[in-house]
Amino acid sequence: MTPQSQILLIPKIECGYVIDHIPAGLGIQVMALIGCHPELEAAVVTLGLNYKSTRMGRKDMIKLQTKSLPPRLLQMLALVSPGVTIKRIANYEVVEKVVIQVPELFDNLARCINPNCITNVEPHIGTRFKRLESGSRHFKCAHCERVCTLDELAGHLKA
Amino acid sequence: MKKDLISIDDLRLEQILNYLDLAARVAAIPDAEKFRFLPGRILATLFFEPSTRTRLSFESAMTRLGGRVIGFSEAAGSSTAKGESFSDTIRTVEQYADIIAVRHPKEGTARRAAEISRLPILNAGDGANQHPTQTLLDLYTIRKFFGQVDGLRIALVGDLKYSRTIHSLCRALLMFDGVAMTLVSPESLKLPGYLLKAAKGTTATFRETSSLEEAIRETDLVYMTRIQKERFPDVVEYEKVKDAYVLEAGMLAGVPARFKVLHPLPRVNEISPDVDATPHAGYFEQARNGVIMREALILDLLDARPARSTP
Repeated sequence: MTPQSQILLIPKIECGYVIDHIPAGLGIQVMALIGCHPELEAAVVTLGLNYKSTRMGRKDMIKLQTKSLPPRLLQMLALVSPGVTIKRIANYEVVEKVVIQVPELFDNLARCINPNCITNVEPHIGTRFKRLESGSRHFKCAHCERVCTLDELAGHLKA
Repeated sequence: MKKDLISIDDLRLEQILNYLDLAARVAAIPDAEKFRFLPGRILATLFFEPSTRTRLSFESAMTRLGGRVIGFSEAAGSSTAKGESFSDTIRTVEQYADIIAVRHPKEGTARRAAEISRLPILNAGDGANQHPTQTLLDLYTIRKFFGQVDGLRIALVGDLKYSRTIHSLCRALLMFDGVAMTLVSPESLKLPGYLLKAAKGTTATFRETSSLEEAIRETDLVYMTRIQKERFPDVVEYEKVKDAYVLEAGMLAGVPARFKVLHPLPRVNEISPDVDATPHAGYFEQARNGVIMREALILDLLDARPARSTP
């Protein structure tokens, strides 16, 4: 595949957002997250899988033609795929670029991994998971105090 | 702002020491004078699972302070049996009382109660998670016997894997200076690795031994725990370890006069009754201290601390 044919596979968008540097294989999962947001129902979405990347080897990429991204989607990306780059596009140019970092707190984004936690017995209770310390990939449930990894939390994303 | 006591992890060393000091002041007040502290105030003890000692200890504390107690001692006696949610029970009971002590088999319930209630919440045990009043009374007992907690050599014996009492006590002891912990347990009931790692960066030390006799010789106190049958999915595994460590009076021959044996109670076989008559048995005084510490906590959470000049 030539560089030219790659560009043709991911056409430029006039305005909207590019979610770039998604680890290869996670693009479908990110698409599912986008599908959870009714605000993005009218957005034209392009999904590219398994592109060559100098930084990552292989990567997935999604382009959305929409005026804004729901904050909750960004929080979900921070949980499922931290490190992805969000590029805001205006007039075919990148005007803003942000790398999604692991936050200090996940607010009502995931279920607790502990089945005996009260938040799983009464699912209407909002969950909170606080990072154990800066740089750590371990989080502590604010209710039952069970410590879990970022990956475990990502596997318990709330619908 | 209202105060709660939910988790030892919420407390700094300074706060723990303040509670120990307050308990010492409360202990010095004659029972006949304690009645004047909380007349007309009501403690709700919501025990969704049975716990005779903790519940009676809370009730004794509130009664001695001149307050009254309402509540239930198992879920069957509450509206939970009719399908009411835990959150609704808290929102309802807070209309009837001034302070709530809650025990529940699910983890995180005390935190949830604190979130939604305007009343102070005391965690009397949430599943396998926390039992902070037990930890504070343990620390109070240790300081009362030894004058300090810093630098003590403490053996933790029995079920170190599942015992929330041990886990909370460990976390608290890590905050003190230079506590040396000796861990004595069957292979299958060792202290979780995350607690061992928690000692990193502190002045505390851990070491393991399989010999209770050795631990007795080399420490200032042993903290015994019951091997909890209900924690074992396989009763055969329980039978293998249930009597792994039994402390008998003869094993205490030659220990220093100040050596103490503590236990959160109830005990089964792990401390022989012949230890009770020795000067080293500290567990019944520990139970008595449970009332004093809970008196102190109720007074603090209700902003009714005795003046410092009180004898």
